[in-house]
Amino acid sequence: MHITKPAARWRMAGVGILATTALLLAGCSAGPAESDGPVTIEFFNFTAGADHEAQLQRIVDAFEDENPNITVKVQNAPYEDYFTSLKTRIAGNTAPDTFELNYENFVSFASSGALLDLETAAPDAIDKSVYFPKAYDAFNFDGVQLGLPESFSVVVLIYNKDLFDAAGLDYPTADWTWADEKAAAEKLTNAGAGVFGEYQPVQFFEFYKSLAQSGGEFFNDDMTKATFNSEAGIAAAHHLVDKVGNTMPNEAQMGGIGDDVLFQQGKIAMWHNGIWQFNNLLDIPSKWDVVVEPGNTQHASHFFANAGVASASTKHPVESAKWLQYLASSDLTVDIRLNEDWELPAVADKALLEPYLSITPPENRQAVFDSLDSVVVPPVIERQQELQDIVTLYLQKAVLGELSVEDALNQAVQEVNALL
Amino acid sequence: MVGDRGWKKVGLVALFLLPALIPLLVFRIFPMLASLWVSMTKWNLLRPPEYLGIENYVEVLTDAKFHKALLNTLYYMVGYLPLVLVGAIAIAVLLNSKLKGATFFRGIYFLPVVTSWVVVALLWKWLLSPQGGMVNYVLGLVGIDGPGWWTDPNWAMPSIIIASVWKDLGFNMLILLAGLQSIPDHLYEAATIDGATRWEKLRYVTLPLLTPSILFAMILAMIGAFQVFDQVWVMTEGGPAGATTVVMEQVVKNAFKYGLMGEASAMSWVLFAIILLFTVFQLRFQKRWVHYGD
Amino acid sequence: MGTESKAAVWTRTIVIAAGGLVFLFPFVWMVSTSLTTAGELFKLPPQLIPNPVDGAAYERLFTEVPIVRWVLNSVGVSLAVTFLQVLSSAMAAYAFTRLTFRGRNAIFVLFLATLMVPFQVMVVPLFIELRYMGMLDSYWGLIIPEMAMPFGVFLLRQAFLGLPRELEEAAFMDGAGHIRNFFTLVLPLSKPAIATVAVFSFMGSWNNFLWPLIIINSPDLMTLPLGLSSLSSRFVTDWNLVLAGATISVLPIVAVFLFAQRYVLQGVAMSGLKG
Repeated sequence: MHITKPAARWRMAGVGILATTALLLAGCSAGPAESDGPVTIEFFNFTAGADHEAQLQRIVDAFEDENPNITVKVQNAPYEDYFTSLKTRIAGNTAPDTFELNYENFVSFASSGALLDLETAAPDAIDKSVYFPKAYDAFNFDGVQLGLPESFSVVVLIYNKDLFDAAGLDYPTADWTWADEKAAAEKLTNAGAGVFGEYQPVQFFEFYKSLAQSGGEFFNDDMTKATFNSEAGIAAAHHLVDKVGNTMPNEAQMGGIGDDVLFQQGKIAMWHNGIWQFNNLLDIPSKWDVVVEPGNTQHASHFFANAGVASASTKHPVESAKWLQYLASSDLTVDIRLNEDWELPAVADKALLEPYLSITPPENRQAVFDSLDSVVVPPVIERQQELQDIVTLYLQKAVLGELSVEDALNQAVQEVNALL
Repeated sequence: MVGDRGWKKVGLVALFLLPALIPLLVFRIFPMLASLWVSMTKWNLLRPPEYLGIENYVEVLTDAKFHKALLNTLYYMVGYLPLVLVGAIAIAVLLNSKLKGATFFRGIYFLPVVTSWVVVALLWKWLLSPQGGMVNYVLGLVGIDGPGWWTDPNWAMPSIIIASVWKDLGFNMLILLAGLQSIPDHLYEAATIDGATRWEKLRYVTLPLLTPSILFAMILAMIGAFQVFDQVWVMTEGGPAGATTVVMEQVVKNAFKYGLMGEASAMSWVLFAIILLFTVFQLRFQKRWVHYGD
Repeated sequence: MGTESKAAVWTRTIVIAAGGLVFLFPFVWMVSTSLTTAGELFKLPPQLIPNPVDGAAYERLFTEVPIVRWVLNSVGVSLAVTFLQVLSSAMAAYAFTRLTFRGRNAIFVLFLATLMVPFQVMVVPLFIELRYMGMLDSYWGLIIPEMAMPFGVFLLRQAFLGLPRELEEAAFMDGAGHIRNFFTLVLPLSKPAIATVAVFSFMGSWNNFLWPLIIINSPDLMTLPLGLSSLSSRFVTDWNLVLAGATISVLPIVAVFLFAQRYVLQGVAMSGLKG
């Protein structure tokens, strides 16, 4: 008994300190009554940044025109700091009414009960038929719709046409495999001149995708064990690791300069990166184009999706849902996203996406949509961020030669299993 | 014995002390105690915290990653402290003399202190770039094959130390200059009359009287070194492959990225205990070398 | 101070100037790089004189975002914090050095101890506290919690300990009280230390990022570091913009530093009194 006493006292103190948090996180599931008077809802986001702030404001203005009683208060934070601020506000029971979550972070928020069940809270405000079904369902958690797919991006192979021309090589095609890419990369590399055939970051997302391109699975079916140290996993890891220092610059060869800058300077011929880079390549001296990423035994393209979500504790569930629906799928949003290269709207009607194809460069914009045919989405666990860091860390150890690829994967599997 | 004078004295102490003490208690000590409680819970900030007891401490103390981070932090401190202190003493002594443009030069030495780590990291990664970097170029001129610096697990921490010393010299210089200026001129005059050389004045007047300021700078630099984070984050992100992971990096990741606020708090309190131990040790040991004037 | 040969003065000046170049370099690099075009960025060797000069990054900062507002917010908050911290630290340091009371050392250790726990784990409880006080998303929330400065108390305590006591003893004999002694003797005699603390205080507040990030939501209340960081996007870094922002944010601290140095030098002149 004596032993438990101090603990009990601490508990009391803690309850005092954190009482609010507990209370408010229990969630207000009060009725979805729409308020009569003017309502202000907050929207906290990380995707607008400096480049798209004006576009977001245009969407907000149009929404407010259509809904004169609703004011949307926009707040931006950079991705690295966004979750620090967001989680603190949720813990302090001052969560923003609406905010953004990327797919990888969605599960931990959803399973903690921090998000509003949109279909139940505001059935009339949501029209699921407008969304690309795969994207809509990605934000369904245990049968409850907790987010609307706001935008997505895919990763493609961006290549420097001038370097291919100079080497007398044919441009990459959608039929390419890893072997074709490797053969071209070797011919394009001239390390002495600081020119390399390719760049593909050695980290979790690329590994997951390479694994899928080799037909491997990250987890077993019931997600109780990691299985990425399979044959396919080893092939995927070798595919990434073996490039470094050969056809792809290592850290020392890059000298602290980012891969984006190197591609812009014409030092990288083939670059695995996302469609968000297109805007930054408009003024570069080299000609460039894109193509669906090469596969191994099959094609697989990675896809980054963001959702608009509402806080479980919002006092304005209906207005929040209305705003999220507008932000995700209004004609204006679709128009802005397509014309200003601000990711892609996750709408079902492919005809709406047509205008996107007419913008050049790149000529082969169609590759962006072709990639969607073989899109893969990593399974997400509650402790996703740790999982990603573990996989990246062990891949880096393999790059440095501290561990063999096989040992690195085995150790990573062990640590990932401990998270499940 | 609390008469009029007694109450007056209490009032006086309160008047002088409370403007700092009240905000300290309310805005620092109270959150500190709260974090002590959090360290005994499981809390991802999204759900209400659950009480765990000492589990987080057991977890932290037996975690190989934490051990590595702690060793790296100590490595950083052992490299950083002597360099930054000796360097700052040298600069402060040089700049304390009646030199034309001393203010101007102080300003220049202070520039790195005010420049953000993002910029400083970019610059040093470039200077210490293994291929084409200025440092390795100069080493090459004298026939030394420069190392891989921040890209090499063995050289990454020294790279961080070099950049940090360079950035923080001006900060410590300023603390020491304040100390140097409180050394009364008459002591130097007396020494001159006794025929002391410049070196003797430095050795027997300046340095002994500067020891309280050195102790002060040392304690602060040590507390800062234990909490090293920004430079690691922007220069190497704890890499390559975890070679420069430090305690604060794990605290920050656990707290806001991994949803392990309880473990982050437990780590912080373990760190607190270690810093306190080192500080008390320094304060105890000071009698051997710190010279209080008069 | 004794006379020094001309040669010695020159050697010393050269050493200091050479060292100064090493310390000046990043600043020059930062300013010049912020003025280059995106295409010239990261060219090796770097150009210390930008050619062509391109102020586009500055133009964007001044036309597309409310940077003037951010700077004014930062200046206002930092000046208020500096004033409060210097005053509260000096008064506390006076209590620690000139008054005797029970628990003096314990309280001093309490001040020091708050430096030893990372702010990152205090920030959530502090946030909840401020919510109760109704200070979220306000200037008050940026200023009031920063009132105590343990580092300043520590530094000024050290400085006050080093002051010669003769003048103060004479003042007490003349019937001066502690309040008068504090304002008319101790403070003026400690100008170099006060100026130093003021510089650190201003700098700390100016660069503060985590706390404003957490409590400020209104764009109108953003401080400069917060505003500048809100410009970066997840996958792409615009280095011209980063460096232009960094240059703008350094200038006010340099100004404060140079201003404070006047008092440091005044303090030196006054030290003649002590002899």
